[in-house]
Amino acid sequence: MAVDMSMPILVVDDYNTMIRIIRNLLKQLGFEDIDDACDGSAALNKMREKKYALVISDWNMEPMTGYELLKEVRADPSLAKTPFIMVTAESKTENVIAAKKAGVSNYIVKPFNAQTLKTKIEAVFAD
Amino acid sequence: MTIGNPRHLDHIADFLRTQRNEDVSLSDVVALAEITATSLQTFFENMDVAIYRELREIAEYIQAMKIEIGALGVNEIRDRRIPAAGEELGAIIKATENATNTIMGCAEAVMSAAADDVEAFKALVEEKMLVIFEACSFQDITGQRIAKVVATLEHIEMRVARFAAALHAKDLGGYLSEVEQARAERRRRLLLHGPAREGEGIGQTDVDRLLR
Repeated sequence: MAVDMSMPILVVDDYNTMIRIIRNLLKQLGFEDIDDACDGSAALNKMREKKYALVISDWNMEPMTGYELLKEVRADPSLAKTPFIMVTAESKTENVIAAKKAGVSNYIVKPFNAQTLKTKIEAVFAD
Repeated sequence: MTIGNPRHLDHIADFLRTQRNEDVSLSDVVALAEITATSLQTFFENMDVAIYRELREIAEYIQAMKIEIGALGVNEIRDRRIPAAGEELGAIIKATENATNTIMGCAEAVMSAAADDVEAFKALVEEKMLVIFEACSFQDITGQRIAKVVATLEHIEMRVARFAAALHAKDLGGYLSEVEQARAERRRRLLLHGPAREGEGIGQTDVDRLLR
Protein backbone atom coordinates (compact mmCIF):
# COMPACT_ATOMS: atom_id res chain seq x y z
CA MET A 1 0.00 0.00 0.00
CA ALA A 2 1.46 3.37 -1.04
CA VAL A 3 1.77 6.12 1.51
CA ASP A 4 -0.87 8.81 1.05
CA MET A 5 1.00 12.11 1.35
CA SER A 6 -2.23 13.98 2.10
CA MET A 7 -3.13 11.83 5.11
CA PRO A 8 -3.65 13.63 8.42
CA ILE A 9 -0.90 12.92 10.95
CA LEU A 10 -0.95 13.66 14.67
CA VAL A 11 2.42 14.31 16.34
CA VAL A 12 2.37 13.95 20.15
CA ASP A 13 5.24 15.30 22.23
CA ASP A 14 5.52 17.49 25.35
CA TYR A 15 8.61 19.20 23.96
CA ASN A 16 7.84 21.91 21.42
CA THR A 17 11.23 21.64 19.78
CA MET A 18 10.66 17.94 19.08
CA ILE A 19 7.25 18.65 17.59
CA ARG A 20 8.87 21.28 15.36
CA ILE A 21 11.63 18.85 14.28
CA ILE A 22 9.19 16.04 13.43
CA ARG A 23 6.82 18.47 11.70
CA ASN A 24 9.69 19.79 9.52
CA LEU A 25 10.90 16.28 8.72
CA LEU A 26 7.38 15.23 7.73
CA LYS A 27 7.00 18.34 5.58
CA GLN A 28 10.32 17.56 3.95
CA LEU A 29 9.03 14.07 3.20
CA GLY A 30 6.00 15.66 1.53
CA PHE A 31 3.30 15.41 4.23
CA GLU A 32 1.20 18.51 4.72
CA ASP A 33 -1.70 17.76 7.09
CA ILE A 34 0.11 17.68 10.41
CA ASP A 35 -1.40 18.43 13.82
CA ASP A 36 0.19 18.19 17.24
CA ALA A 37 -0.69 17.52 20.88
CA CYS A 38 1.34 18.01 24.04
CA ASP A 39 0.44 14.75 25.84
CA GLY A 40 -1.64 11.58 25.62
CA SER A 41 -4.90 13.03 26.90
CA ALA A 42 -4.73 16.04 24.55
CA ALA A 43 -4.00 13.60 21.72
CA LEU A 44 -7.02 11.45 22.62
CA ASN A 45 -9.27 14.51 22.53
CA LYS A 46 -7.95 15.46 19.08
CA MET A 47 -8.33 11.88 17.81
CA ARG A 48 -11.98 11.87 18.86
CA GLU A 49 -12.57 15.07 16.93
CA LYS A 50 -10.63 14.25 13.76
CA LYS A 51 -9.76 10.95 12.13
CA TYR A 52 -5.99 10.66 11.84
CA ALA A 53 -4.30 8.20 9.52
CA LEU A 54 -1.16 8.05 11.64
CA VAL A 55 -0.09 8.93 15.18
CA ILE A 56 3.57 9.61 15.95
CA SER A 57 4.01 9.80 19.71
CA ASP A 58 6.67 10.27 22.35
CA TRP A 59 6.58 7.87 25.35
CA ASN A 60 7.59 10.00 28.33
CA MET A 61 4.97 12.73 28.83
CA GLU A 62 2.76 14.03 31.61
CA PRO A 63 0.04 13.57 32.64
CA MET A 64 -0.69 10.83 30.08
CA THR A 65 2.26 9.00 28.57
CA GLY A 66 2.52 7.74 25.01
CA TYR A 67 2.35 4.17 26.34
CA GLU A 68 -0.98 4.91 28.04
CA LEU A 69 -2.18 6.68 24.89
CA LEU A 70 -1.32 3.61 22.81
CA LYS A 71 -3.31 1.35 25.15
CA GLU A 72 -6.27 3.78 25.17
CA VAL A 73 -6.24 3.95 21.36
CA ARG A 74 -6.12 0.17 20.98
CA ALA A 75 -8.94 -0.23 23.53
CA ASP A 76 -11.25 2.20 21.70
CA PRO A 77 -12.97 0.44 18.78
CA SER A 78 -13.30 3.69 16.82
CA LEU A 79 -9.54 4.39 17.07
CA ALA A 80 -8.09 0.89 17.45
CA LYS A 81 -6.87 0.51 13.87
CA THR A 82 -4.97 3.82 13.73
CA PRO A 83 -1.32 3.20 12.90
CA PHE A 84 0.83 4.25 15.85
CA ILE A 85 4.58 4.92 15.77
CA MET A 86 6.39 5.45 19.06
CA VAL A 87 9.32 7.89 18.80
CA THR A 88 11.17 7.85 22.10
CA ALA A 89 14.40 7.92 24.07
CA GLU A 90 13.11 4.90 26.03
CA SER A 91 15.43 2.25 24.63
CA LYS A 92 15.17 -0.59 27.15
CA THR A 93 14.15 -3.96 25.80
CA GLU A 94 11.19 -4.11 28.21
CA ASN A 95 9.81 -0.87 26.72
CA VAL A 96 9.94 -2.22 23.18
CA ILE A 97 8.33 -5.50 24.26
CA ALA A 98 5.62 -3.69 26.23
CA ALA A 99 4.88 -1.41 23.26
CA LYS A 100 4.72 -4.43 20.95
CA LYS A 101 2.28 -6.19 23.30
CA ALA A 102 0.19 -3.02 23.45
CA GLY A 103 -0.02 -3.01 19.66
CA VAL A 104 2.51 -0.42 18.48
CA SER A 105 2.93 -0.29 14.70
CA ASN A 106 6.58 0.73 14.79
CA TYR A 107 9.16 2.05 17.25
CA ILE A 108 11.86 4.65 16.63
CA VAL A 109 14.64 5.31 19.12
CA LYS A 110 15.73 8.95 19.60
CA PRO A 111 17.88 10.49 18.28
CA PHE A 112 16.76 9.53 14.79
CA ASN A 113 17.12 10.89 11.28
CA ALA A 114 14.75 11.67 8.42
CA GLN A 115 15.57 8.43 6.63
CA THR A 116 14.59 6.33 9.66
CA LEU A 117 11.30 8.19 9.99
CA LYS A 118 10.57 7.73 6.29
CA THR A 119 11.45 4.02 6.38
CA LYS A 120 9.25 3.34 9.42
CA ILE A 121 6.26 5.21 7.99
CA GLU A 122 6.61 3.29 4.73
CA ALA A 123 6.90 0.01 6.66
CA VAL A 124 3.70 0.73 8.61
CA PHE A 125 1.71 1.32 5.44
CA ALA A 126 3.33 -1.56 3.58
CA ASP A 127 2.02 -4.06 6.15
CA MET B 1 32.09 -2.68 87.76
CA THR B 2 32.52 -4.84 90.93
CA ILE B 3 30.08 -4.51 93.82
CA GLY B 4 32.01 -3.22 96.82
CA ASN B 5 35.62 -3.35 97.73
CA PRO B 6 36.98 -6.94 98.23
CA ARG B 7 38.62 -5.76 101.46
CA HIS B 8 35.23 -4.79 102.89
CA LEU B 9 33.67 -8.04 101.74
CA ASP B 10 36.44 -9.84 103.63
CA HIS B 11 35.49 -7.86 106.74
CA ILE B 12 31.86 -8.98 106.42
CA ALA B 13 32.93 -12.61 105.88
CA ASP B 14 35.25 -12.50 108.91
CA PHE B 15 32.55 -10.92 111.03
CA LEU B 16 29.97 -13.58 110.07
CA ARG B 17 32.53 -16.36 110.58
CA THR B 18 33.43 -15.24 114.13
CA GLN B 19 29.80 -14.53 115.12
CA ARG B 20 28.30 -17.72 113.61
CA ASN B 21 27.77 -19.72 116.87
CA GLU B 22 26.75 -16.89 119.13
CA ASP B 23 23.56 -14.91 119.59
CA VAL B 24 23.43 -11.80 117.44
CA SER B 25 23.26 -8.65 119.51
CA LEU B 26 22.09 -5.18 118.43
CA SER B 27 25.70 -4.00 118.38
CA ASP B 28 26.53 -6.90 116.04
CA VAL B 29 23.76 -5.79 113.68
CA VAL B 30 25.00 -2.18 113.84
CA ALA B 31 28.56 -3.34 113.21
CA LEU B 32 27.40 -5.40 110.20
CA ALA B 33 25.40 -2.46 108.95
CA GLU B 34 28.48 -0.22 109.23
CA ILE B 35 30.61 -2.68 107.28
CA THR B 36 27.87 -3.09 104.63
CA ALA B 37 27.41 0.66 104.37
CA THR B 38 31.15 1.15 103.88
CA SER B 39 31.13 -1.50 101.12
CA LEU B 40 28.13 0.07 99.39
CA GLN B 41 29.70 3.51 99.60
CA THR B 42 32.67 2.23 97.65
CA PHE B 43 30.24 0.63 95.15
CA PHE B 44 28.35 3.89 94.66
CA GLU B 45 31.60 5.85 94.36
CA ASN B 46 32.75 3.46 91.62
CA MET B 47 29.36 3.67 89.91
CA ASP B 48 29.45 7.49 89.94
CA VAL B 49 32.86 7.47 88.28
CA ALA B 50 31.69 5.00 85.60
CA ILE B 51 28.49 6.93 84.87
CA TYR B 52 30.42 10.19 84.78
CA ARG B 53 32.90 8.67 82.33
CA GLU B 54 30.07 7.41 80.09
CA LEU B 55 28.23 10.73 80.20
CA ARG B 56 31.45 12.55 79.37
CA GLU B 57 32.00 10.25 76.38
CA ILE B 58 28.42 10.88 75.21
CA ALA B 59 28.95 14.65 75.61
CA GLU B 60 32.19 14.44 73.63
CA TYR B 61 30.44 12.44 70.90
CA ILE B 62 27.60 14.98 70.73
CA GLN B 63 30.16 17.80 70.56
CA ALA B 64 32.04 16.02 67.74
CA MET B 65 28.75 15.40 65.94
CA LYS B 66 27.85 19.10 66.23
CA ILE B 67 31.21 19.98 64.67
CA GLU B 68 30.61 17.50 61.83
CA ILE B 69 27.09 18.82 61.23
CA GLY B 70 28.52 22.35 61.16
CA ALA B 71 31.22 21.24 58.71
CA LEU B 72 28.52 19.77 56.49
CA GLY B 73 27.31 23.32 55.84
CA VAL B 74 23.69 22.30 55.27
CA ASN B 75 22.40 25.86 55.40
CA GLU B 76 24.90 27.05 52.82
CA ILE B 77 24.11 24.04 50.60
CA ARG B 78 20.35 24.57 50.94
CA ASP B 79 20.31 28.38 50.74
CA ARG B 80 23.07 29.09 48.23
CA ARG B 81 24.64 26.17 46.41
CA ILE B 82 21.55 24.16 45.42
CA PRO B 83 19.51 27.22 44.31
CA ALA B 84 22.54 28.46 42.32
CA ALA B 85 22.91 25.04 40.66
CA GLY B 86 19.18 25.09 39.85
CA GLU B 87 19.55 28.52 38.26
CA GLU B 88 22.50 27.32 36.19
CA LEU B 89 20.50 24.32 34.95
CA GLY B 90 17.55 26.57 34.14
CA ALA B 91 19.86 28.86 32.17
CA ILE B 92 21.28 25.84 30.31
CA ILE B 93 17.78 24.71 29.30
CA LYS B 94 16.93 28.24 28.18
CA ALA B 95 20.17 28.64 26.20
CA THR B 96 19.82 25.31 24.41
CA GLU B 97 16.16 26.04 23.67
CA ASN B 98 16.99 29.50 22.27
CA ALA B 99 19.83 28.11 20.16
CA THR B 100 17.65 25.29 18.83
CA ASN B 101 14.87 27.70 17.95
CA THR B 102 17.32 30.04 16.21
CA ILE B 103 18.92 27.21 14.22
CA MET B 104 15.56 25.69 13.27
CA GLY B 105 14.23 29.11 12.32
CA CYS B 106 17.19 29.54 9.94
CA ALA B 107 16.69 26.08 8.47
CA GLU B 108 12.96 26.72 7.99
CA ALA B 109 13.69 30.10 6.33
CA VAL B 110 16.11 28.48 3.88
CA MET B 111 13.80 25.56 3.15
CA SER B 112 10.81 27.78 2.48
CA ALA B 113 12.73 30.36 0.41
CA ALA B 114 12.15 30.56 -3.33
CA ALA B 115 15.26 29.48 -5.22
CA ASP B 116 14.35 31.02 -8.57
CA ASP B 117 16.37 34.17 -7.80
CA VAL B 118 19.74 32.50 -7.34
CA GLU B 119 21.59 35.56 -6.04
CA ALA B 120 18.91 36.41 -3.47
CA PHE B 121 18.73 32.76 -2.39
CA LYS B 122 22.54 32.59 -2.03
CA ALA B 123 22.55 35.78 0.08
CA LEU B 124 19.78 34.39 2.31
CA VAL B 125 21.63 31.09 2.81
CA GLU B 126 24.87 32.92 3.71
CA GLU B 127 23.04 35.17 6.16
CA LYS B 128 21.29 32.26 7.85
CA MET B 129 24.49 30.22 8.02
CA LEU B 130 26.16 33.04 9.96
CA VAL B 131 23.22 33.16 12.37
CA ILE B 132 23.56 29.38 12.84
CA PHE B 133 27.28 29.72 13.62
CA GLU B 134 26.52 32.43 16.19
CA ALA B 135 23.77 30.35 17.76
CA CYS B 136 26.18 27.44 18.19
CA SER B 137 28.23 29.53 20.62
CA PHE B 138 25.75 28.43 23.31
CA GLN B 139 27.85 25.27 23.62
CA ASP B 140 30.75 27.16 25.23
CA ILE B 141 28.60 28.98 27.78
CA THR B 142 26.51 25.93 28.69
CA GLY B 143 29.74 23.95 29.10
CA GLN B 144 30.92 26.48 31.69
CA ARG B 145 27.56 26.43 33.44
CA ILE B 146 27.57 22.62 33.58
CA ALA B 147 31.08 22.74 35.08
CA LYS B 148 29.72 24.93 37.91
CA VAL B 149 26.88 22.49 38.59
CA VAL B 150 29.35 19.58 38.62
CA ALA B 151 31.51 21.52 41.12
CA THR B 152 28.47 21.96 43.38
CA LEU B 153 27.70 18.24 43.22
CA GLU B 154 31.32 17.43 44.06
CA HIS B 155 31.21 19.88 47.01
CA ILE B 156 28.09 18.18 48.40
CA GLU B 157 29.50 14.72 47.73
CA MET B 158 32.73 15.47 49.66
CA ARG B 159 30.91 16.88 52.67
CA VAL B 160 28.38 14.08 52.84
CA ALA B 161 31.20 11.54 52.55
CA ARG B 162 33.12 13.20 55.42
CA PHE B 163 29.94 13.35 57.55
CA ALA B 164 29.08 9.70 56.88
CA ALA B 165 32.63 8.60 57.72
CA ALA B 166 32.77 10.66 60.95
CA LEU B 167 29.47 9.24 62.19
CA HIS B 168 30.03 5.72 60.84
CA ALA B 169 26.61 6.23 59.26
CA LYS B 170 24.80 3.24 57.83
CA ASP B 171 22.01 3.52 55.27
CA LEU B 172 18.58 2.54 56.50
CA GLY B 173 17.59 1.85 52.91
CA GLY B 174 14.18 2.01 51.36
CA TYR B 175 13.31 5.43 52.76
CA LEU B 176 11.23 7.45 50.30
CA SER B 177 8.93 10.39 50.94
CA GLU B 178 5.32 10.08 49.73
CA VAL B 179 6.10 12.22 46.67
CA GLU B 180 9.16 10.11 45.87
CA GLN B 181 7.15 6.92 46.34
CA ALA B 182 4.45 8.15 43.96
CA ARG B 183 7.06 9.13 41.35
CA ALA B 184 8.88 5.81 41.69
CA GLU B 185 5.61 3.89 41.37
CA ARG B 186 4.66 5.87 38.24
CA ARG B 187 8.10 5.29 36.70
CA ARG B 188 7.86 1.55 37.44
CA ARG B 189 4.27 1.15 36.22
CA LEU B 190 4.72 3.16 33.02
CA LEU B 191 8.29 1.99 32.27
CA LEU B 192 9.69 5.52 32.41
CA HIS B 193 13.45 5.08 32.40
CA GLY B 194 14.40 8.17 30.40
CA PRO B 195 17.32 8.28 27.99
CA ALA B 196 19.70 5.38 28.50
CA ARG B 197 23.32 5.96 29.52
CA GLU B 198 26.03 4.99 27.10
CA GLY B 199 26.22 1.22 26.87
CA GLU B 200 22.72 0.77 28.23
CA GLY B 201 19.57 0.41 26.18
CA ILE B 202 19.36 -0.97 22.66
CA GLY B 203 19.79 0.56 19.22
CA GLN B 204 17.35 0.83 16.32
CA THR B 205 18.56 -2.43 14.75
CA ASP B 206 17.78 -4.40 17.93
CA VAL B 207 14.42 -2.62 18.25
CA ASP B 208 13.55 -3.65 14.68
CA ARG B 209 14.53 -7.25 15.49
CA LEU B 210 12.27 -7.27 18.58
CA LEU B 211 9.33 -5.97 16.58
CA ARG B 212 9.51 -8.69 13.91
